[in-house]
Order: sequence, then C-alpha cells, then structure tokens
Amino acid sequence: MAALAADPAVLEKGRAEEKRCVGCHGIRIIHTQRLNRATWDRELTKMVGWGAVIKERDALLEYLVANYGDDKPVPAPARSGDGR
Amino acid sequence: MFIHSDFPEDLESPPEYFTTWLTPVDSFFVRQHLPRPKVQPTTHSISIGGMVTNKLALSIADLKKLPQYTVPATLECAGNGRGNFRPRIPGLQWTKGAIGNAEWRGPRVKDVLAKAAVTYGATYVDFDGADIGVGKTPDFIRSIPLRKAMHEATLLALDMNGQPLPELHGGPVRLIVPGWDGASWVKWVSTIQVSAQPHEGFYMKTAYKYPKYAVGPGGAAKPEDMEVIEGMAVKSFFAKPSGETKHKLGTPVSLAGVAWGGENRITRVEVSVDAGATWQNAAVSKQDFPFAWRLWNFDFKPTRPGYYTLCCRATDSAGRTQPIEAQWNPSGYLYNAIERIAVLVEA
Repeated sequence: MAALAADPAVLEKGRAEEKRCVGCHGIRIIHTQRLNRATWDRELTKMVGWGAVIKERDALLEYLVANYGDDKPVPAPARSGDGR
Repeated sequence: MFIHSDFPEDLESPPEYFTTWLTPVDSFFVRQHLPRPKVQPTTHSISIGGMVTNKLALSIADLKKLPQYTVPATLECAGNGRGNFRPRIPGLQWTKGAIGNAEWRGPRVKDVLAKAAVTYGATYVDFDGADIGVGKTPDFIRSIPLRKAMHEATLLALDMNGQPLPELHGGPVRLIVPGWDGASWVKWVSTIQVSAQPHEGFYMKTAYKYPKYAVGPGGAAKPEDMEVIEGMAVKSFFAKPSGETKHKLGTPVSLAGVAWGGENRITRVEVSVDAGATWQNAAVSKQDFPFAWRLWNFDFKPTRPGYYTLCCRATDSAGRTQPIEAQWNPSGYLYNAIERIAVLVEA
C-alpha cells in the first residue's frame, strides 16, 4: 500500500480523476477538507451514491490522502477578490 | 469573504465583520447546498397544500398584502466551527464566521397558514425551496413543528436589513426561524406542505441530527439515538483581536465580539485573560432581543509584559454556558467551545 501511495503515476491518475467531481460542485470544497484515509473512502462512497461516476477509485483515494490528508496543514483561507 | 466552496458559493465572514450589531448584507455569510435557482419575483408563486382546508398559490404581491413584521434574528449555520473538531469531520470547514445578524421583514407564517386554514391533527409544516438536487443528490426540504411555524417571529422574509432580500440569501422569499439554526431557514420558498409528521427526505431523516448521548471523538451513534436539531447552542467569540497579535504595554487591548443563545437571551458574557483560570464580566450591548446576538466588549489593561491567553464565555437565560471542549459528533454540528486567542504584550 505504501508503494502505491508514493507512486507519482498513481497520484497523477488520481488528480485527473478528480476532474469528474466538478460536474456537480466546484473543486474548492474538496481542497478545503483535511480527512484521514477511512473518512475520504467513506466520502467517495457517499458521492457515488449521489451520482458521481468514479472509474479510478484507488488512484483518486491515494491522491486525496496524499494532498488533503488530516496530517496536512490547514490552508490559509482563500479570500474572495471583491475586497469583502 | 473566506471561500469554502466556489460553486455553489459557500462564503464565511472574516472576524472583523462582527463589530456591528447588524451584519451588512454584502458581508453576510452564504451557504448553498445546491446550485442557486433562478427565481422571477414577479411570477414566483408559493403553493400551500397538505392538511389545509384551502389549497393556495400566493405570489410575492400577495405576501406583501399581509401584515408585515420586522424581526432581528441571528442566523448561524449548524456546522459553524466544524473546522475546529478533532478528529476532522467532512463538510464545510467553517471556522467561526458562518453567522450573521439581520433585520428580517415579511409576513408571519401563521398569517399565511390562517389563509390556508390548517386542519385538525396537523403537527408539522414542510418547506421546499426552488433549488433542486444535482445528479442524485436529495432535494433540500425541511420541516418545522407547527408550534414553531405559528410563533409570531417566524416569518417569510421579503426584506433583509431594509432592502429586498437578495437572490444569494434566498430572495425573493425565505423562511426565518428565529432562534433555530440555518438548516431550517429555507431559501427561495416555493412549496409549503402542512402534515402530521416530519418530511421523510434526507435533510430531515439523516442530515442535521445530533446524538442524544455523547459519542466521544471519532465515535458513532445508532440511528435511533439521533435527534433532529432544534434551537441553537449558546456561544460567543472574538471579533477582535483574532489569532495571535502583538501589543505595547501601556495601551489597553480592546477586546470585542458577539454572543448569542438561540431562543434564549444572553444574560452574561465573561472574559478571561489567564486562559480560563479567572473570569470577569464584559460589557454587553444595549440591544437585548430574544433571537438576536448581543455585542460585547472589554478593555484588557495588562500591567506586565508577556504572552496572554484570552477567552470569552457566554451564559444565557436558561443557564446554559459554553464548554471547554465542544461535544464531538459525526457531522460536526453545534461547535460552541470557549474560544482562545493570544496576545503578546511587549514592553
């Protein structure tokens, strides 16, 4: 599993898979999460239940955990550009 | 505004916007489960049915003909503060700014229901907005008990802070349920159904439920031990300063924030400058309404340099006060732990 996680090709496949998500909602709601592996896995199941079509689920999970795992720092909040 | 989601928009107000009793409309937080519908105010109609004698279709003009009432009420997302829970919980990672206070104006729901003439045995009212699910996501439909729908402060708001309700905030008409979390404040109301039980959809059966018995961090609750959230937790936070700030010894550090208690009035706000070891009363603003927050302020005058941990704590008229740790629950609702900020006072 560790070898799979570290493989840049897998992470790239996962990043490409993520594009399927923006059919229903923007990408930012994904990138503001910081979840452990089990929770990301449950979220993918929930999204599939709500109509998401995921082909490369293992790669997507690895990509999410590698970039948005609960050990990753919280991002500085993105601010809307209209001065508010 | 802090952006948690770009489509549909979910926007959080930064702390500096919480120094006024009314939150300006264009700084008010935004929460949308589903893509925003396009509603034409001139042709929009609310259909009222279910356990009523008269099934009705009311236009915005019809709503404006009913007596209009203005209610100041604080609107908070049930998930405000979710970003603070550990272990982390999926959902919008609000910090503290999914909240605002506004003056809402429109007819009372009870006057609308009077026109429909509710029949005997009805106990719930379902509200559906013009927004629809995407893919197979469920439609956002919420029920409130009839007794709450009949409360004199429960409105179908047409105006927000003296201007027509913007589309972003549910315009032309949204449900206002003062003292309850935003999950009940259905936007773009298009259907009202009177019934004898809560709606059976996802947003009543599964979402917005809270464990009856505390489950502990990372714990799970049986579905039969989950209850629909009603009312709001008692809570307060700092509008200024925020995070960690530096100050010069000799100038007072001006502390300010907001405090609220759902259907209960705020009776006391206290501040600690020693990480909760001792507490002093803060000054509370004169506005003392049920359902609307109160502003508080306190001048901290340290006599020695050093790193100080400051806290604020609200108490409401039911005697509720804030805990040190918020109760972890699987969906990350009702976070209301005492906030801690730090100031470094330098000579």
